[in-house]
Amino acid sequence: MKFFDKVIGDPMNRVDGKLKVTGAARYSAEYQLPNLSYGVVVSSTIAKGRIRSIDSRAALRAPGVIAVISHENAIKVPGWADNEHPTEPPTGGRPLRAFYNNRVYSNGQPIAIVVADTYERARHAAMLVKAEYEEEKHETNFEKNKGKAVVPAVVKKNPKSGLADYERGKADAYKTASVRLEAEYVHPSEVHNPMELQAITAYWEADDKLIVYDKVQGTKPTQQAFANEWKIPVQNVRVISEFVGGAFGNGLHNWPHETAAIIAAKMVKRPVKVMLTREQMFFMVGYRPYTWQKIGIGADKDGRLTGIYHEAIGQTSSYEEFTESTLQQSKMMYTSPNIGTKYRLLPLDVSTPIWMRGPGEATGAFALESAIDELAFALNIDPVQLRLMNHTDTDPEKNLPWSTKYLKECIQVGAEKIGWSKRSLKPGGVRSGEWLVGYGMGVGTFGAHRGAAAVRAKLLANGSVVFQSAVTDIGPGTGTAMVQIASEHLGISPEKITFQLGNSDFPQAPNQGGSATVATVGSAVVATCQAMKERLLEMAPSADKRFANLKLEDVTFDKAHLSITRSPSVKVAYTELLKKQNLTELDVLQDSKPSQEASKYSRYSFSVHFAEVHVHPMTGQVRVKKVVSCADAGTIVNKKTAANQMIGGVTGGIGMALQEDAVMDHRFGRYVTKDLADYHVPVHADVPPVEVYFVDKPDYIVDPMGTKGLGEIAIIGVAPAITNAIFNATGKRIRELPVTPDKLI
Amino acid sequence: MIQFQYTRATAAKAALDAISRDKTAMFIAGGTNLVDLMKRGIVSPERLIDISRLPLTDITTEGKSLKIGSLALNSTVAENKTVQQKQPLLVQALNAGASAQIRNMATVGGNMLQRTRCHYFYDTALPCNKREPGSGCGALEGFNRMHAIFGFSEKCIAVHPSDMSVALVALDATVVVDGPKGQRRIPFIDFHRLPGDRPEIDTNLLPGELILGVEIPDNRFAKNVHYLKVRDRASYAFALVSVAAALQIEKKVIRDARLALGGVAHKPWRLSEAERALVGKPVSESTFREVAQLAMKGAKGFKYNEYKLKLTPNAIIQALKVASKLV
Amino acid sequence: MSKINSRDQQSGESKSDSRRDFLKQSAVLTGAVLTPSIALKAAEAQWDEKLAEALEKIPLKLEVNGVSKSLMVEPRVTLLDLLREQLNLTGTKKGCDYGQCGACTVHVNGTRVLSCLTLAVMQDGRKVTTIEGLAEGDQLHPMQEAFLKHDGFQCGYCTPGQIMSAIACIREGHADSEEEIREYMSGNICRCGAYPNIVNAIVEVKKGGKKV
Repeated sequence: MKFFDKVIGDPMNRVDGKLKVTGAARYSAEYQLPNLSYGVVVSSTIAKGRIRSIDSRAALRAPGVIAVISHENAIKVPGWADNEHPTEPPTGGRPLRAFYNNRVYSNGQPIAIVVADTYERARHAAMLVKAEYEEEKHETNFEKNKGKAVVPAVVKKNPKSGLADYERGKADAYKTASVRLEAEYVHPSEVHNPMELQAITAYWEADDKLIVYDKVQGTKPTQQAFANEWKIPVQNVRVISEFVGGAFGNGLHNWPHETAAIIAAKMVKRPVKVMLTREQMFFMVGYRPYTWQKIGIGADKDGRLTGIYHEAIGQTSSYEEFTESTLQQSKMMYTSPNIGTKYRLLPLDVSTPIWMRGPGEATGAFALESAIDELAFALNIDPVQLRLMNHTDTDPEKNLPWSTKYLKECIQVGAEKIGWSKRSLKPGGVRSGEWLVGYGMGVGTFGAHRGAAAVRAKLLANGSVVFQSAVTDIGPGTGTAMVQIASEHLGISPEKITFQLGNSDFPQAPNQGGSATVATVGSAVVATCQAMKERLLEMAPSADKRFANLKLEDVTFDKAHLSITRSPSVKVAYTELLKKQNLTELDVLQDSKPSQEASKYSRYSFSVHFAEVHVHPMTGQVRVKKVVSCADAGTIVNKKTAANQMIGGVTGGIGMALQEDAVMDHRFGRYVTKDLADYHVPVHADVPPVEVYFVDKPDYIVDPMGTKGLGEIAIIGVAPAITNAIFNATGKRIRELPVTPDKLI
Repeated sequence: MIQFQYTRATAAKAALDAISRDKTAMFIAGGTNLVDLMKRGIVSPERLIDISRLPLTDITTEGKSLKIGSLALNSTVAENKTVQQKQPLLVQALNAGASAQIRNMATVGGNMLQRTRCHYFYDTALPCNKREPGSGCGALEGFNRMHAIFGFSEKCIAVHPSDMSVALVALDATVVVDGPKGQRRIPFIDFHRLPGDRPEIDTNLLPGELILGVEIPDNRFAKNVHYLKVRDRASYAFALVSVAAALQIEKKVIRDARLALGGVAHKPWRLSEAERALVGKPVSESTFREVAQLAMKGAKGFKYNEYKLKLTPNAIIQALKVASKLV
Repeated sequence: MSKINSRDQQSGESKSDSRRDFLKQSAVLTGAVLTPSIALKAAEAQWDEKLAEALEKIPLKLEVNGVSKSLMVEPRVTLLDLLREQLNLTGTKKGCDYGQCGACTVHVNGTRVLSCLTLAVMQDGRKVTTIEGLAEGDQLHPMQEAFLKHDGFQCGYCTPGQIMSAIACIREGHADSEEEIREYMSGNICRCGAYPNIVNAIVEVKKGGKKV
């Protein structure tokens, strides 16, 4: 098996890189529209109850204030049905409707928006808005209410849902294994906290025509959502998200501040810009839910797994059900004749969670990969060996062959590169000066998804090609990868290709999420290139008759020329064909969707992360010294951006393992760690050199490029690699994240 | 942030005059804490008197002490060769604080006067006696992981966030101020207050007073100092516990010692008794363990900060070990 | 633009209330610029908003990316908001607004500072350099080139702050080792996690020895 070397240097720079390093890239709050006004959202200060009154007099008197909008005076959004609230949670529920009525469902919920002519005036006036509440008793404490967890409504509706209770063999078989353990794991709420604050600039061009510059992960889904809300034709909504300053999942849902801005823009009849504060990012744009897990695991004395039982309860809001695939990895990662899973939800008086990078799989992998490590220790078997011994060669859940799986190779390379041989089986066996040294590993997997999308390409007379897709790029380098795919499939150098994205006027693309963008949109790029090539070949005889009656496979498309493969001297430039046909451009639109063939296989990406961690025994400080990550993600389109994405996932995993913790004071149902000083994410000093290795094997079952997703597996398995390394260093098994210094002294 | 008047002072006298005329006024220098607090509506001065251009930035040695102007920037002090040579503990503490950008803005005087980072102080929707006297202490029964184990009161268990001040209190600094009562000198150890019944008052600076600078007497600690800051990430975070340790060692025996803690009290916490206990003792881990236990006398933990009862002595031992080059 | 709030119109609130409020907020009126009696008249004549706007702004001269600007700004306007909202220099980013992320880093007189914690009026007479002021025409600054080459970013939102900080880090003499770079760059958070690539970019520029 060949692996790429540590990725450095050469691969193509980002096509939008220059815009980003010069400050020219425009994000959602950076469009200076004429007559722009500023909206500042006022948030509730109670967790549950009713707003008795909103006193906006002082705010309205403040200089520059144009409007104070709340449920008391907001126009009704026509698309919202007239029922007050879902009767008994959880019902699947519905998203919070801004200013719909006087109900408060969570602390920090938007209750008003102040619009003024400058930002400073809006911010000041927002502080003058006073609300009086009729407070009701709230429940936000997960641990206290754990017993009230319920079966998700989606499972009640569809008992075959992947979230339904699962049993293969006997769920509790682990209890009779010769070596067995049971453990509980707690994952706190984590907040995406992209560097760009959630922002929207909304403008009604006409009574029924809306433009929004919005920080979202999908322009088309957002367009549809707002068209539904306002009961206007879809094409009357334009969503522009040319640059998205990170999102990690929180742009996969439309949030109340967006509708608040749109309501405000409609009422004040001018563009309204809203940028949330960093605190508001904790209260109204989703988060990774607090999750409790229990694992029972057992093996025979030689280390063959005989049973895994994995149970999870995730938090959700009282009004909307959020579910994720926390238990998926336990169903298919290891050979065990007996597997059981059970997933429940706990609705609380909090805002709705949303997928956060690696989503439930990352949460679940923390528990599963910790338990595997605990079992290896109990068995006195090297955790690498234990995983290799119980490796699955086919998918035991679906009873299907893997489309591709090179996890074993990843594990072998990773172990070598981290220096696994230096690891002591016994904790505390290695030291570096005063510091205890530990090594740990964690495996990750995520479905290699592909959806449907369409892409337009326009070949222009000057030989350049403009591609268009509504897809967004939240940071992975989508535009760059698409240019590279287009370049390869159209035979045109990347400099000649522009990939326009982030605009709902462009052809259909789903949300950027679930590690599916390259497979989905890239496949559409390939299909469009194919269609373009067919058109060019049709036109080719007009330039040279020898192209007549040829098939695509007889022709080579390279360096912006068609040539006959068997007689390469017969060739014609693409632009020549446009000229011959008197065309100023050649416009091709093609869609693409997954093949039926793919459903005969189980399709997953795989990763393994190895960490070397130093722990100071006196102060409990942890320093991650080195991370090696290996990914089986099919074809890597751009090794530079792909490696960066992996490093980013590792960084997120360091945060998950060691730092991130959105703490709520349940007396108030309000977060107390709610800015970047109190809610820690990794800084430069926390992140060591990260070595990234990719398996060099395409998976053509997933898509024509052979890619499998990368964004999620970059983080899934990182946190347990670090906590397992901490155990190896100290002998301390911390099952409640994050592992801060106080837990290690 | 309310609209406020802005006045730029060009001389200390003018600044003092301006503030004496307006009870709603505040000085602003680096702004790194005040602007933040104003944005969140935690303080709302109606007038800001900009003192950032007053000529109080000099770093000089005079006789046996080092004088640092109150408006010297944190980074300027940390990069100053004389300070590096004579007071390396101060340099270490300064560099442990905030970020490079903030140290380029924050002044020595402002660093001393920064407000607590208590979550409840920072959220106007939650009770806090320091922000709103009489509203209650949110942290007492709340999330108090960052909070005090020494010197707190029922009214307030917040901690002072400055690193620099921990070094200054250890180094016997003196704060020089000017104001309605004329110039006066406040020993650093008396500069910050304990919360008692008036947690809204952080320091013994009187209304209308301006900090001119700090003076640090000469010492023989340059060789054996260490500022240890234990925090939740490797940089750019407030201390869980920090220790400023300075030793004068001759022939493996401690001749003099200074020890102070950060992140454990409403003020930088000087450990005078522990210092005395160190004098005359041999440099050894067992000496440090004894002293660390002594230092913890009177400490009391709350629900979420019990760990500080263990982390603090550990950090003291570790800081002393590094300062004495045992490790 | 009429104000939208039916409750307020019904509340029949007296003019004196509104005047008091105006006086309280328009802090400038307690100063020497206008006597209160003039202000009261202004308020009664319902000039309040226009007057307030005129009175609350004070002159400010700045040199931004080599261009001299004579502005009138409210003292509460931060340098960050001035750049982004009034000068259309949106390359400087707002990531937290509280001095906790570094996205708003700019140079004032050549020193890196956080523009979100800087009141614009306090920088009167100074030179401000933002990300937009680094390149010379099409010629990128070496640090911008290095960020491109080493892929020192993903979403790009923290990037301007990282680059401004990185240049200062070298100028300050704190880029002598990777460890030192990591420490002195820790005030710039990158949530995408491109840190190792950023460090590589800085190492390369430092080694290149060009004046930055």
